Formats: sequence, C-alpha cells, structure tokens
Amino acid sequence: MGAGALLTHVAPPVASPFGSASHVEGENVQAIDVGGPAPGPQAVAFLDGIQRYAVEGRFGLIPVVRGYAAAAVLGRQGAELEVARARQEEFLVVARSRLTPDQERALEDVDLPIVECEAAERSHPILDVQLAAKEVERCREAVEAELAAAHIEEAPRSWLVVDGSLGGIGRLEEGARVVGLVKSHETQFLEGPDLEVALTLPEGHRTSVFSRSAGARGKVFSFYLRLWPWQDHDLLHGLVRIERPPGEAAVADANEVSRWLLAERAPLSAPDGRWDRLLYPIRQVETFLRAQAGGWW
Amino acid sequence: MIRLGGGSTIGRVVATEALPAGPHQFHFWTAIDTAIGIGAIVRVDAENGRTVYAVVVDGRAYSDLATPLHEVVAAEGDPAGDRAPTRRTEIRLWTAAVLRHEPDEPIQPVPLAEVLLATEQDVEAALRMDGFVRGEQPTGIPVGVYRAGGLSAPVSLDADFLLGPESAHLNISGVSGLATKTSAVQFLLSSIFQRLPSHKGSVAALCFNVKGPDLCFLDQPAELPEADEELYHVMGLTPQPFEKVRYFAPYKADGVNINTLRSNAEVVGDVQPLVWGLREVLDYHEVLLNRDDIDAKADAFLDFLADRVVDKQFRDEWGNTHRVSSFAELHLLFKAIFDGLEAAGRGDSWRTHHIATIRKVRNRLLNISTRCKGLVTDDGTVSDLPFGQFEDRSVYVLDVSGMDQLGQDLVFTRVVTRLREHLERGDLGVDHVIVFVDELNKYAPADGPDTYVRKMLLDISERGRYLGLVLFAAQQFRSQVHRRVVGNAGTLVFGRMDMDELAMPGYQVLSPATKIKLATLPKGELMVRHPHFTQPVFVRFPRPAVLQGPAGVKRFPPAVDVPFEEAVVRQLTALDKRITPARILDRIAGRREDDVRRALLATARTRPDDVEGYFTASLGPAVRREAAGRDQDATTPLRSVEDPYAT
Repeated sequence: MGAGALLTHVAPPVASPFGSASHVEGENVQAIDVGGPAPGPQAVAFLDGIQRYAVEGRFGLIPVVRGYAAAAVLGRQGAELEVARARQEEFLVVARSRLTPDQERALEDVDLPIVECEAAERSHPILDVQLAAKEVERCREAVEAELAAAHIEEAPRSWLVVDGSLGGIGRLEEGARVVGLVKSHETQFLEGPDLEVALTLPEGHRTSVFSRSAGARGKVFSFYLRLWPWQDHDLLHGLVRIERPPGEAAVADANEVSRWLLAERAPLSAPDGRWDRLLYPIRQVETFLRAQAGGWW
Repeated sequence: MIRLGGGSTIGRVVATEALPAGPHQFHFWTAIDTAIGIGAIVRVDAENGRTVYAVVVDGRAYSDLATPLHEVVAAEGDPAGDRAPTRRTEIRLWTAAVLRHEPDEPIQPVPLAEVLLATEQDVEAALRMDGFVRGEQPTGIPVGVYRAGGLSAPVSLDADFLLGPESAHLNISGVSGLATKTSAVQFLLSSIFQRLPSHKGSVAALCFNVKGPDLCFLDQPAELPEADEELYHVMGLTPQPFEKVRYFAPYKADGVNINTLRSNAEVVGDVQPLVWGLREVLDYHEVLLNRDDIDAKADAFLDFLADRVVDKQFRDEWGNTHRVSSFAELHLLFKAIFDGLEAAGRGDSWRTHHIATIRKVRNRLLNISTRCKGLVTDDGTVSDLPFGQFEDRSVYVLDVSGMDQLGQDLVFTRVVTRLREHLERGDLGVDHVIVFVDELNKYAPADGPDTYVRKMLLDISERGRYLGLVLFAAQQFRSQVHRRVVGNAGTLVFGRMDMDELAMPGYQVLSPATKIKLATLPKGELMVRHPHFTQPVFVRFPRPAVLQGPAGVKRFPPAVDVPFEEAVVRQLTALDKRITPARILDRIAGRREDDVRRALLATARTRPDDVEGYFTASLGPAVRREAAGRDQDATTPLRSVEDPYAT
C-alpha cells in the first residue's frame, strides 16, 4: 500500500484544474529554505467563513433554498483569540424569474431577504439546487470580503490571515498585510519543472514567488510553503499555497511570512483531517462560526 | 417565591445527553478566570420564576486537544521548544449539587439558565438558615464564615438540631497536629455560650482534657490576628475567653502534687482536685474489672457489697460491726471474713459466696486504689464535680491527660453517668450539658470488645438529645468509631482528612474534588454537614480567643513536682497568697500524710476565705504517731499462697 488515502469512488471532476502564472522572484521556481519557524507579528487576526443551505421547499419543480452565510475575524491578543468582528446572514435563494406573481408574494411573506439565482434552461432537480448553492457561496464570499475590508480599514497595521484564496476578498492595496492561505490544490498554476519543485518542497521550504491571474481582480502573488514533511505521505501533505496582494512587499516579506506560518503549526489542529494544512486559529474561527450557526450545524 | 436578586453572572448551565441537568445535580461553565471553586454556592434563576441554589462539588478543565500525542507532534518532540503562538481553547466545567429549590415542589431538573454567584441572602436561603436565624425565636449558632468570590457570609447551625431536641451531638474528624478539632470545638462552645437564646434554656460544657495542655487555659485570653477578628465580626461574635471555667484534676501518685499541666503557681489555684472513694468507684466496677475476671458469681458478690455493706452498718457472723466507706475499711472487712472463716474451720464459702470468688473480688477491688492512685483514695475522702450546681455558660474541664486508660475510662463513665442521672431528674443546674471528648475512637471503637464505656456512649448518642446531654466528640478517623455513635451525630464537621480515610465507604457520597479539597484543607477551614444543609458546606472559623495549650504551657510553665510538705504549701498558697509557708510547714510537721492530704483536699474543695484557718481546723489536733501505721497495712493488697487470683 502507498501513502495515500484508500478510495472507493471516482473523485468528482475538478472545476478549474489549471490556471496561468508568471515568475516574479527569479527566472524559474526554486525551493527556498525559509530558516525555520519564528514568532509572528504581535497584531494578527484570522478570517474564515462558512455557508449552509437546505432546500426549504419547491414551487412545482422550482427549488426554494434557505441559505446561511457567516464570517468572523478572531484577533489574537497575546496568545488568546478573541472575536474582533462577526457577521451572519440568512436568506432565501430562488430562480425568481420562474416564479408566478402569487408564488413571489408567498415568498415575500416569509420574513427573509430573497436572493435571485440563475435559472437553468431546463428544470433539473440537482442542477437547480447547485445553481442556488453557488449564490449561497457568493453571499459567503461577500460577507468575508466585507469583514476583511472593515478589518483592514480599522486596523491597517494588523496582519489578516484569510482562509482560502484572496480572489473573493475585493481589491487589496499593494503591501496590504493580508495573507491568503489556500489548503486545496485543485487549480494548478505551475507546470513542468516548476510544478515538480513546488509539489516536492522539503519541510520548511517555500517556492519562489509567482504571480497568478485572479479574474476581475487582476492578479495576486503566490508561493507554496511546506509546513510538514510529505515523505511517507502524499505530495500534498503539509503543503499550502500562500497568496498576497501583488507588490514588492509580497516578495520581500515571503520568508518572514513563511517563518511565522511555520510557527503556527502549533498547536496542532488535529483531530481535524486537514490538520497538516489547517492552522489552529483558522480552525477556531470555524468552530466559533459553527457554534454560532446553531440549528444550521 | 422570593426573588432575592443580586449576585453576578459567572456561568451558564449546560446539559448534554451524556451530562444532563437533573433535579439534584447539574453542570455549568464559566470563564477561565473565575472567582468560584469547590464549595462555592451558586444560584440559578429560571425564567418561570424558579430558583435553584447549589454548591460546587467538582470542576474540570480541558481543551480541544484530542490526544496528548498531538501536542508532542506540534512541539516536534521538544517540550522546551517555542511556545505555541495561540493558546488552545479551554473550558472550565463545574458540577454543582443542588442545595435547595424554590419553590420546593415540584422538584424539576435545573433550568438551563445563567449561573450567579450567591449573595449573603442567597447563602442564607440555600442553607435554609432563613428558617432559624430570624423570626421571633431564632436558634442560629454561628459555626463559621462562608467565603467565595469576595463574599463573606456567616453560616449558622440550628440549636434545635445541635443541642436537641430535634437532633443533637457533633462529631468532628481530622488529622492530628493541625489544632483544628480542638480549636473548632472551643470556638463553637464560645459561639453557643454567646448566642444560645434564653428560650433554649441554660447550657454548660464539660470537657475531658485527654492529652497535653489542650484545654488547660480556656480562661486565658489570646492575641488574635486581624483576619480572625474579622471573622468574629462577620458572625456577630465577641472574641473573648470563657468567663467561667473550673478545672478538675486528680493528684499524682504521691497524693499531693496535682496531675495537670495547669500546675503553675499563678493558675493552679483554679484547679480543684478530683478525688474519689470506694462508693464512687464501686458503682462502676464494670469499667475497672474486665469481663474475663468478673463472671456471674463475682458480679453477685459485688452487688452484695454495694447493696448490703458499703456505707451501711454491717454485722458479720463473728460479732464484728463494720461500716465500710473506704478501701481501707473494705480491706478490714475482707480480713475479718478470712480470719473468721479460718477460725471457724470452714474455708469454702461465706454467705453463699465461694471463698475463691471473694478472694478474686478482694484482689481486684483493692488493686484499684493502687492502679488509680491519685484519683482513688483509700480513706474515702471525696472531691467531686459540683453535680446539682452546674452553672449556666460554665465550662468544667476534667484534666485526665496524666491518667492511664483505665483511670480515664472510670472518670469518663462515672461523670457522664452522673450527668445523665441529674439531667433525668432535672436537678443538674443547667438544661443542657455539652460533653466534649477527644479521641473518641479510644472510647467507642468500631470494633473490639463491647466495653461499658462504649455502651454508655451509645446510650448518650441515642437518648441524650431528649435529656439535654449532648456529645461533642472528636477523632482522627471517623471510620474507626462505632457507626451508631457517629451516625447519631446530627452535625458532622471535617477538618483536613487523610486520603486513606477518605477512601473508606463512609465517604462515598463525597465527590472526588470534595475529597481532595478535604485532604488539602488549610488550617482554619472546615466542611460542615448539618440536618438543614442538604450538601456539605465549607466554612472558615476563627482561632478561639483563648490561650492554646502549647502557648499556655509556655506562658505558665508547669510546676515541677516537689516534696510532700512543699507541695502542700504550694497548693495552699495558690488558694491564698497571704499564707506564710513557714507556719504551714510548722503545722504539718510530724503529722500523718493522710491527715494532711485530707485537710488539704477539704480546703481545696471548700475554698474558704480563711484558707490557713480552715486547713488548720481540718487538720485537727496532733496525735502521737503509732509505731506501725494502719494505713500502711490498708494499702497493701493481700497476698497468699492459697490465693490463686493474687496478682
């Protein structure tokens, strides 16, 4: 048996397996020893969001989805995490264009905001719900972006570590002290030898900084960082991809950011299955949000 | 329902399927930095108007760490490595045992609501003290101060349940050497004396000082730290020594030096000798004579002596008339019997009693005056407790610490029996007597022979509350005391306990945290169980405002034993400082020691204004001493080669 997980089913297809990237730090991607863990900044906060949805009912074949999106920023004072700001939203998602006026009035009687979602050309019991779910996801990203913006505005000297890509977090100033921590590697921006260097990084090493396209936001700078050794595990074990707002600071800070992220390996976020990539403070934001979600959990 | 209000929110009740909230126990969480701990009293107000009072009995702290291995991995095996930048989330989860529901019915699970720190009024309500510390006829007796979260609230016992008639008796356990047991009893006696209301009648205390100088200086004031003064203030008590204390102690074997550590010239004047004669001892022969010796035949002969001979005119078959009031006279009676039988040539029985039985009883009885020398006299002189004249709010200390176990048993049995007799007749002088006994495990052991002392203690513990005879007893290990004696104590008090003792079945009702708290209890803190308290409560009590034994001995060093004449002078001088030693020495020169002892005892017992005159009168005119003293014969037990029971 190999080091990977035992599987039984074909994994669902990856939505966007490839993206484009360009070198920023050097001519090609190299493995750089960051010098081991080091204490992080005094002022640092962690942002994460969650989303929940359920089919509340149907008008004929049209699903009415009840959505919940929440996000929170936990600031760290000393070694203690405290809630700096949090927001939650509950709403209905429905393909409004397909509703009759009576059905619309009936929905409005429910005291919840209504979010319109895209309507498929033909009704499909699964596809219609997936389209609604995308709206829930967009709402969650919007809540996260709102909290991130508020935090950056109120505490510009504080670092903000965001769970996931910075793609959903509005436009960021160059040099903004924001770090995106991507745990999943569905989209690969590197290829060839660059990719091999990235995926076989030794523990405590990072790749050179590269730039990747970020849709409407233009681009973000990024690099891979190996938190835990992958030998005896899978290639992706302990591997995270860091995103920073583009700019020289992102390159200049790359080692420093990498070192304090290495220090964040303790405490371990186990028993969460993603413990090799999930920072404990991010997990605590999740725990807080799940507790807040109450019946949605 | 009375909403007392106040108190600050410190937690919230939580309930899961695994840890549900029940009517008698529930769980709540608090902030990490909380003012409460084991023993703290809390209140839970339900939205429907119900209020629940409870005491914290257990606490746990844990984090989200699933296994210690995760910490090892995170630290990469180096415990001295850099500290994690984020502290793990922790929880303080407490378990509380319900003290009271308001209203009382229906009893329902504790509501999942906010938990508040109890206020002083809450403490009163939680411990049901509101029923007896207020009203027209309050019966509250302060026992200590409850302290938690910055609150100091007095905790009281109900006199109806401490001194009777509802329940009675107090038992205190705790390891030795912390001065907790004796100090707690001294404080509580002071509290009772100050606060027992007039409608409850009069009360006195009789304390057996069984070791060292523990109770020898109850009348002497002590310096108290400010913290103790504050505790007295919270309870509304005055820190003061006992106003009326009388000390009793036997003589040493020389019959003239008093056998107590309160023998310093400055304080020995308050000590009255405790001396008994034949009659005082004979009624309690069961204590002194062990069951293996005394069979039914010996018992019958002893009854014969008690009923027909002692203190009566008795005429034997050989024409002699006896009046036996002392061991010396008893010796003469036995001698007359044996001489008469020998002269008559019939040596097998006298008045249906076999000669061997008579010899056995003679040897055992006459040896008592030797074994209990100092307490028991040959000549019948008596100096006893003032039965019938006990005074309200007085302490009577019997210092038996210098006596052997047999003598202590005799003193204890006779004194308590006399107390019971007087209380039954209602002529003791007070309505209640608190008898304090330390080392109860010696007198009423859980196992071992069924002694007369243990039977008597059982009788007190089971019937005493109706009579006003209240037992305050202390011991190191409660498990070593007879279950019925402990079980009948309405109030149980615990100082610091030994872990081995806490592992005994009798402590299973206590939570592990409570047991650990008991095992590490600081000096001055107690756990109290009382009929009104549905759960044990921890309180602090102040040092008694009396000089403690060791400090007393330091301030009043015991006098060294001195020769007979000097001891007589010293005792008389203690009674009256104006006495001229030379004149006393002159008066006792050439007098028989027994005569001097008798005069000295009469003077000490009477405490006349004119000590020297009374002593001289008691001594009587001098007579020429005979060549062979009668007293010498009287105190030597007979020994005969024919006597198989001679010891």
